Amino acid sequence: MRMARNRKGQFIIIAALMISIMIVSISTVIYGTVTYYRQERWEEYVTIVDSIKTGSYGLLQVGLANYGQTLNSTVLRDYFNQWMRDVRKAYPGFGVDLSYALASGIRSAYGVSLNYSLGLARTWNQPVSFSASNATVSLDLASVGLTGYNFSSHVFLKMNIREAKWYYKESQRYVLIYVSVEKEGPEPVVNLQKSNFAEVRLSGVPQTFSVKRYYSSTYSCFIYEIRINSISALPSSVEVTLSDTRGIKTVSYTTSIQQTS
Amino acid sequence: MTKAKRAKNQRSQKGQMRVIEAVMASLIVVSALAFLYVFAATPSSQPQETSELEKIGHNVLHDMDEQRLLTRFVYNSEWANLTAGLFVSLPTNVYFNLSICDVNGNPISHPLILYGNEQIFDSSKAVASVTYIVPGYLASYSPRVLVLKLVRG
Repeated sequence: MRMARNRKGQFIIIAALMISIMIVSISTVIYGTVTYYRQERWEEYVTIVDSIKTGSYGLLQVGLANYGQTLNSTVLRDYFNQWMRDVRKAYPGFGVDLSYALASGIRSAYGVSLNYSLGLARTWNQPVSFSASNATVSLDLASVGLTGYNFSSHVFLKMNIREAKWYYKESQRYVLIYVSVEKEGPEPVVNLQKSNFAEVRLSGVPQTFSVKRYYSSTYSCFIYEIRINSISALPSSVEVTLSDTRGIKTVSYTTSIQQTS
Repeated sequence: MTKAKRAKNQRSQKGQMRVIEAVMASLIVVSALAFLYVFAATPSSQPQETSELEKIGHNVLHDMDEQRLLTRFVYNSEWANLTAGLFVSLPTNVYFNLSICDVNGNPISHPLILYGNEQIFDSSKAVASVTYIVPGYLASYSPRVLVLKLVRG
């Protein structure tokens, strides 16, 4: 009877010892698993990737803005070649390697057909005009073993001359041009000032004008109303040159002008 | 001793033995847990603090860039606006020191863009550093590297 009780007591202690060993072993394994990657500077890597991504998008804006001014069709390729070298210099020791593919050929976006060449596309001197740039960037970060992180970026600006009207009343004669502006998204551009409308021409002649913006229930969008006073005759054409806050340019043109008394 | 008294004594001894066994088993398990607690190397809060500040710093620069304020301030030398922008965007107990250089690491001349005492950045053990690159402004490619140092006060 006594022997049996003794054996039972030993068994409980041995069981407790074994449970303790199991607790220690499992905890060690779990702790090792949880903390394996903790020492890596993940936040730094994420911020680098994000910074390069945002910078590449900014580069598309800068390239498109330059293209609008100079019409240099290779500007985006040149900028990206420099950007690849500069990003490597900006983040030394991280093994940053950037490659890119500029959009080429016809693509459809935001209701218009874009014919890209070296990542750039434009259609100017139409009632609906636009400028666009598009590129796919691939990023490697050798220090953390990240390879082939791809992202596409595109920049877009569209201006639409909704209507142009020549009002002839006895006391005053003027022209009203209704334009809407959109950027990538598509998202309406509502922060333009008069200075963003670089030039307004009637029958090819630059005019002095005023601009006001409002939401139009007629067009169901935000409208920029451009008013040109003292126009005695019906103009043959209307041309509006826009340069948005990013410096991206587009030119809309129409010969469709209504007469309203 | 009567038979009944002997049986009662035996039951009592058996009960005491069980209690001792249970106490010993509990001691063993508690010892194992104490062993784990003592030897578990809990990660220092410093790297976590730095990581958190890096996240905050990057988000602030990224937001300013998204609103096209960052490039405007940097390329138009609006240093007071840049300092004010960082001041209002960062938590009040976070001190910052921003330096701007070109991609070769040559500093661009600008006044101190600083909030807090400069010595804090030398003495503090948890200084977070965020590197942010901007490619250019409007139509000109001219990359700038922004290095934002942050310390919690």
